[in-house]
Amino acid sequence: MGGNQSVPKITAQDRAILDLKLQRDKVKQYQKQIQSVLDREQAIAKSFLAAGQKDRALTALRRRKYQQSLLVKTDGQLENLEQLVSSIEFSLIEVSVLHGLKQGNEVLKEIHKEMNIESVERLLEETAEAREYQREIDDMLANNLTLEDEEVVQAELLALQADQLKAPVKVPEQEQKEANKLPSVPTTEPHSTEPAKEERITIPA
Amino acid sequence: MALSSHTTSTGFLLPSIHSAPPFFTKQPNPITNSTATEQWIRLISEYARFKRLFYLRIDDCEATGNDWDEILRNERINRRLLPTYLSYIIETMIEKGLAEYEPPKQTRSVILYWRAPEEWAEALHGWVVSTGRLNTIMTFYEITEPEIESPLSGIPLPLLRKCISILAKTNRSQIIAIPDGEGARFFARSTLQ
Repeated sequence: MGGNQSVPKITAQDRAILDLKLQRDKVKQYQKQIQSVLDREQAIAKSFLAAGQKDRALTALRRRKYQQSLLVKTDGQLENLEQLVSSIEFSLIEVSVLHGLKQGNEVLKEIHKEMNIESVERLLEETAEAREYQREIDDMLANNLTLEDEEVVQAELLALQADQLKAPVKVPEQEQKEANKLPSVPTTEPHSTEPAKEERITIPA
Repeated sequence: MALSSHTTSTGFLLPSIHSAPPFFTKQPNPITNSTATEQWIRLISEYARFKRLFYLRIDDCEATGNDWDEILRNERINRRLLPTYLSYIIETMIEKGLAEYEPPKQTRSVILYWRAPEEWAEALHGWVVSTGRLNTIMTFYEITEPEIESPLSGIPLPLLRKCISILAKTNRSQIIAIPDGEGARFFARSTLQ
């Protein structure tokens, strides 16, 4: 013991609590002692009575009564001591709760310091600016294409679309699954409507 | 005569060897002696555990009317353990770590470790944890005489001190002393061990 880093230091407060508890123990021990006296006096009274000495038995019983009153008094004292011990221990818990709150508060403050409104505003502004800048670059790049280039690009697009129409159209998996599913039997009377025409959607390139 | 085991009035089952007259004297043959002493040690430890006895004194075999009557003497065969043999048994127990002179520097009284002090220390720590008293200052009296009986009720102070110092090695306890007496405080097992 002592010199140990990980066990808390013994404070004056700790000593005071220990002192209080030792006092409480003393009262408890004293009560035990009185209890034994009570039992002894009763035994004495009994034996006197058996021997026919009524006065002495009476004296013993009187002594017993007195000790009994002491016991009641010490009960009160014990209660006081125990209440004090409990309230001290409860206050210690409160102190540690307060300490915890304080620390939490400090952490929160620390975090807020890094995240003050101005810097958030500045950050958002900067982001907006960056986005604007990007857009400008895009525009510039688009504008850089000459009319001729644009025509070539469009032509390429058309060629690609034409290729796709010729090539066997790959049905996407999702659609294939739906095609395998049989339609459910209609529950209503059929009435003539225009026949459902199957529509083939051209898949955009 | 066939030897038989015997159950005492307190419900302790004495082994049949306890009814053999030679069991009560130290045997000259070293092999016989070591077997018999072994039996005595087991008997003493088991009886102590059974009745929660912590002390054994040489006196206990010299006089009647103590906690050890039932095993240190056998009235049925009119034998009793002799003090010289008992002190030999005690010496052997100390060698095996099953007892220790208490108070130290004398040889007539020992504290018995029918449970190793390390186990007692763990039991103490377990009790403190289960009654929610970690980090609370406790008096020794509170531990040895708790209002609700515990596995540690009635353990002698020297043993309690030993337990606390065992726990202190792993930073799980701390003794607090003031002029009026002593107390201890216990901590959870540190994860940094």
